[in-house]
Parts: sequence; C-alpha cells; structure tokens
Amino acid sequence: MNIPVVYFFIALLFKLFQSIGYCFIFKKCNVAWYLSFIPFVREYNVSLCADREKDGKVYTIVAGIATLIELFNHFIPENLSVLKTILLIIYVGLLITTEIYMIRVLLGLIEVFGRKKNWIWMFVFLDAVTVLIWGLSPKFVPSKVVIRVKKSVLAKEFGQNITAPEEGLLINIKKRTVVDFFRKKTLIKDIHMFIPKGHMVLLLGGSGAGKTTFVNAVTGYEKAKAKIELDSRDIYHEYKKILYKIGFVPQQDLIRGTDTVQLTLSDSADLRIPKGVSSDVKKARVKKVLDEFGLTAVKNSLVEKLSGGQRKRLSIAMEYISDPTLFVLDEPDSGLDGVVARGLFERLRKIADEGKIVIVISHTPDRVIELFDDVIVLAKDETKTGRLAWYGPVNEAYEFFGKNSMEEILLSVNQKDEGGEGKADEFVGKYTDLMKEKVG
Amino acid sequence: MSENNNTEMIPENVMEGIAKMNTDPNNAVNPAETLDLNPDNQGIGRMAQMRIYLGKMFRMFLFQKDWFVLPMAAIIAGLVAFAVGANLFETMEGTLMGSFALACVCVWNGFFNSIQSICRERAIVKREHRSGMHITSYIAAHMIYQAVLCLLQVIIIMVVCYLLNVRMPAKSLVTPFPMVDYGITLFLITYCADMLALFISSFSKTTTAAMTIMPFLLIIELLFSGSFFTLPSAAEPFTKLTATKWGLTALCAQGDYNSLPMVSIWNSCVQMKDIEIEGKKPVYEVLKYIEKNDMRDEFCLLTAQYNQKPEFEFSRKNMLKCWLWLVGWTAVYVLAAIIFLEFIDKDKR
Repeated sequence: MNIPVVYFFIALLFKLFQSIGYCFIFKKCNVAWYLSFIPFVREYNVSLCADREKDGKVYTIVAGIATLIELFNHFIPENLSVLKTILLIIYVGLLITTEIYMIRVLLGLIEVFGRKKNWIWMFVFLDAVTVLIWGLSPKFVPSKVVIRVKKSVLAKEFGQNITAPEEGLLINIKKRTVVDFFRKKTLIKDIHMFIPKGHMVLLLGGSGAGKTTFVNAVTGYEKAKAKIELDSRDIYHEYKKILYKIGFVPQQDLIRGTDTVQLTLSDSADLRIPKGVSSDVKKARVKKVLDEFGLTAVKNSLVEKLSGGQRKRLSIAMEYISDPTLFVLDEPDSGLDGVVARGLFERLRKIADEGKIVIVISHTPDRVIELFDDVIVLAKDETKTGRLAWYGPVNEAYEFFGKNSMEEILLSVNQKDEGGEGKADEFVGKYTDLMKEKVG
Repeated sequence: MSENNNTEMIPENVMEGIAKMNTDPNNAVNPAETLDLNPDNQGIGRMAQMRIYLGKMFRMFLFQKDWFVLPMAAIIAGLVAFAVGANLFETMEGTLMGSFALACVCVWNGFFNSIQSICRERAIVKREHRSGMHITSYIAAHMIYQAVLCLLQVIIIMVVCYLLNVRMPAKSLVTPFPMVDYGITLFLITYCADMLALFISSFSKTTTAAMTIMPFLLIIELLFSGSFFTLPSAAEPFTKLTATKWGLTALCAQGDYNSLPMVSIWNSCVQMKDIEIEGKKPVYEVLKYIEKNDMRDEFCLLTAQYNQKPEFEFSRKNMLKCWLWLVGWTAVYVLAAIIFLEFIDKDKR
C-alpha cells in the first residue's frame, strides 16, 4: 500500500471519529444527531450549538466555495498554469478564512459548554479526540440548547383580511419572509389593522419583534405578502405614484453635515415636490416648514453645527416638506432629553391633527403617552416571528395587558432571556381571540 | 452639541425653536390651506435630480475640504517633476520612467478624489434612494463633478511641470496641438482611476474598507503597467486591465519613444571601461574612438534602434487605441458602480 493511500485512510478515520463525537455533542445541544455525518451541514450545526450561527454561515459558504475550486482545479489542463495558479492563491485565501471562522465557532462552543479558552488548542491540534471526549463524557454539558418549536404549540392566528370602514391606512399583512441561508425565515406575520386619518399611533415592540420590518412593509419599501391600502389605494401596486404621500424618518439623522439647513431643506423640496409646482410655491413651502420646525434662526448654519434636537427636527422636516399623508418616524426621540422630546412629539401631534397618519416607534413613550391615540404592540413569538399582540387605544391596552405603563407592557411580551416575562404567545393568542370576536 | 437630562444645558435657540413650534398660532395648519403637493405621477426627472446632486457636491467641495486634492496634486507633480522630469521625452529611459511616474501621479490623484466619496455617505444615499433618488442621477452627478476635479488636477500637473522646465511632447497625434493630446491622455488616466475608485466606494460599506482596498489596487496598477516592469508572458494579458498600461503607452507613443536615443548601454560601457583583457582595455579603446570621432549620439541612436518597442509606435491609431481602452474601462467602472449601488437597499440595518 503506498503512502498517500495510508494517509487518506487515516484522515478518513479521524473524520469518522470527529463525526461520532459531534453526533453526541449534537444530542446534548438538541440538534438532529445524523447531521454530524454530512460535511458542511455538520459545521453549520456546530455553530448553532455554539450560538455563533453567523460565523457558521460564513464558514459553510467559504468552505463550499473552496471545495468547488479544489474540484475545478483538477479538471483544468496543465497548460493553463496561470489559471491554476490564480485558483490556488484564491483557494489558500479561502482556506485561511475557513480556519479563522472555525476557530470562532469553536470558541463559541467552549463558551456555551462553560470551559476554559485553552481548549481551543486541543480542538486545533487534536480535533477528533477532543470532540469525542466532549461528546462522550457526561462532564461536558452545554449551558444552552438549540430551541426547536413544535407546530402544536404555536400561537393562534387570525388569518383573515379586514376591510377599511373609511379613509385611512388599511394593513393586511399575511407574512413577510426572507430566505436566510437556504431557509425560509418568517419575520412578521398575521398583522391586520385599520388606522384612521388624524391618528397618532405608537409602535411598541422589543428587540427583534419586527418593528422596522413592519414599517418597511407598510411603507412599501420592503414588500411583504400583504395588501396595504392608503386611502383605498394599493401602496404596493402604486408605489411609485404615491411614494411622496409617505414620509419615513430614520432613527439616525442621515443628513450631510457640510450643507446649510436652508439648502438641505430646499434640495429636499426639489427632490420631493412635484415638478409641476412653481419655484415660488416651493420656496414658500421651505420657509413655512423652517418656521414650523423652529429652524429659521439657524437656516444659514451648517448642519454639522446644529444641536441634536435641531438636527432631528431638520431630519423630520426633510420628509415633511412634501406634505405626506402617512408619516412614519423611527425613534425620533432617541438621544433627546425630556423637554426637547416632548416638544417634538407635540409637533407630531399637530401634524396628526392636520388629518395625517403618524406612526412613531419609541422606546420611551410613557413621558408623552397622552399624545398618542393608539398603540400597536408587536411581540416575538416562540418561533421568533413578529406578531401583533395589540392594536387599539392606549387606555384599553393597559387594561388588556393588566399593566400601568407602556414599559411594563413591553416587559410582559419580551422574552425571558431578554429580561421580560415571556408572555408574547399568550397575548398574541388573546388578541387574536378578541379580533375574531370583533370581526365575527 | 449633546443633549442630556439637564434642561439648563439646552441651547437658547433650541428652546426658542421649540417654544415657537408649540405656541405660534401660525403653526396651527388649516387643512384648507394645505397645498396638494403630491399629485400622482410627480417626482422630478433624472436630469433635475442630477443637477441637485451636482450642486450639493460643489458645495461640499468647499465645506468638506475636498478642495484639498488640488494643492496635493501640485505637490505630487512637483516632486515627480523634480525627481524624474530631467530626461522626459529626451531619452528612452527618461521617457519611460517619467511617463510611468506621471501615470502613477494621475492614478494616485484619481484614487484619492473619489475613494471615500460614496461610502462616507452610504447611509444617506440609502435614505435618499428610499425617498425616490435615482442611482443613475447620483452617479452622473459624481461623474461630472469628478471630471471637473480631474481636469483641474491635470491642468495643475501640466503647469507645475512647465514651471519646473520639464520637457513637453513636441508633436501631436490626434489634435493639432501637442499639449492638448498630452492633457487628454493625463485626464483620461486620472478619470479612469477616479471611476475605479468610485466603483470601490460604491460597494464598500465603510471608508475603512475602501481605504484598505485602495493600496491593493494601487499595487496592481503599478505592477501591471506593462512596460516598466518585466513581467512573465503569462501575466501580460493582465496589463490590459490597468489604466497605467494604456496611459504609459499613450504618453510614450506621443513622446515618440522609438525615435529617442538610448543612454543606458553607453552608461554601462563607461562603467566597464577599465576592464582589462590580456593587458589591454578594449572597452576604453572603443569609447575613446567613439568620443574622438564625435559618434556618441550615433552610438546611442544605434543602440536605441535595437531596443524599440512596437507598442509605443508613434501613430494616431496607437494613441486612439490607448484612449479608447481608457474610456472603455471608465465606462465599465461606472456601470459596475451603478449596478452595485442599486443594491444599497439590501444593506443591513
């Protein structure tokens, strides 16, 4: 038997030991044991056990590409030496990347199993033996396991579209999914509501509850499997036509600092106001909005010289310049103190009173809660999908959740590992029953 | 200015603003007075958007220290002219070295002009794209703005070289004016590099990422310039990818490289003049004979004849080919930048 064949069999034997070891580790981590025998899938599942899914994804993709290059290289004729060399250089680069990402995954595994970081050397130099020890020894127990939810315990679903009784915003979201690493992931689902004109609505939800996804779906920026109507007009079908009826103010003040306030607003007016509108009307609108948002005194200042509150008002004014019907603001009060934030929310209340729909995401709404008409509560269910736990008047929300503040409501729907009460599924179910009762 | 929980810290003008916002009776908008600013099919066209962004860019030129690239171009051109300008368009070696250095200056300028221009405001671009901005308008504005910047830099380079008595090409190939041909070549190299950097900036998520890629590209541009470094034949096709290759070729072609004398062999002979063979100094004797008969220039021209490079052919066709390659790559980079930036909405939040 020649030496390469012996090496091949030894390597195969080690791989087998490694797979057997991971088979037991997977059992401990609540992952299907047989996946340890499938290359790449095994490493990805190790990353799930290690709570390092992102690193696992990168590893799997890079390792997959490296393997393809290695295979492809075998079929390249010898006379194409340049191509072979280039591919070899790329292959070496990818190999280094996979090793780095595998080390990151293994460090995560060590952390989950509560062991010292020095174990990494054992994994690097004696991989198969170490994995076997970790898999077979009862002393090695993970601090957390992969959660797999059974379909029978999923929260209830309303599952039917509602209709609009008057002009306003009608939201019927069936679901919003993304394909993430060959798997379909549902970000939000089963959200149905109608927001009348003139209402200012608070959008409440913990981290990962789908607030931004919801807002993006409603504004048509990221389309969901849904029917969204603004004044009986389908936002998805007529997106380009009614784009300027929707204003979205992001959380960060994304404005060029090296331009003046007036020119920034005037450029926004030029970009957002229809081309048929005369320049005099545009100028008047800019002046009016500068006045309304208290920016006239600083209109000739550079944006980078403004205070946080002024910059936030300018950011809002840039969207408000086109007089949108639906106005969505992502945490407009972040970084602002109570007085400035209150002033801002009172301004938003006035905008709503003009017959607009204002939706505001905020993490500190209790200081201005009386300014809101309704509240939307989104919660992350067992499958980590954003669900509607409540939509309705603020006072009724307190009653529904049995709490006295929005902060308490948020805590009640937040998951336990986030410091909450973990009652998301309970309230989603309760609200679904309520909806069914109302709609009939 | 940061704002904290202490209301005393709030600037006066902010408080005035808020007070005005909330108390001014004019702010209570009468719905009847509200302008219908958003009828259907509105939204301004691509040209109008481009003009708006162009205005923004020229304002930023003043306020964001973008103007800094102009004096920087003068300094670099001055250094290069001082170091390698002496024999430019006078000898083969001087022309090759000087043209290579000039092409490098142009690539350097082009890279620095736009390497951060998109990535530094990526989040803003994403917001504006959401609000209806056309990527083509945005890139077109960048193209015009950068073209002006590149043109100014080329003028600066040429003026600096002229002031430092660097020889300019005496003959033209495409236009009737040698300086115009020369300027167009320098401009096309700078602009091509500029658009490559713009492309890098269009897919880089951060300025750090863009600035990390830049030196790597610079090395490729220098290494694969074609004529300056001797490359294995297998690597030759890669030289077609670089702006330096086509720029260097165009500059050498206009400088009529193949008609210039070669001095390196003469210099090597002078260094070897003391070599003795059987008690005699044959090299010294040959050199003495050449000098005595005033044949040095003839010797240099004769050695040059055996070292001519067909790619530097002094012809209009050759020059136009180089320009077309530069324009072609510029178009490819612009197209790639537009395609990459169209995916800006996919950026993670």
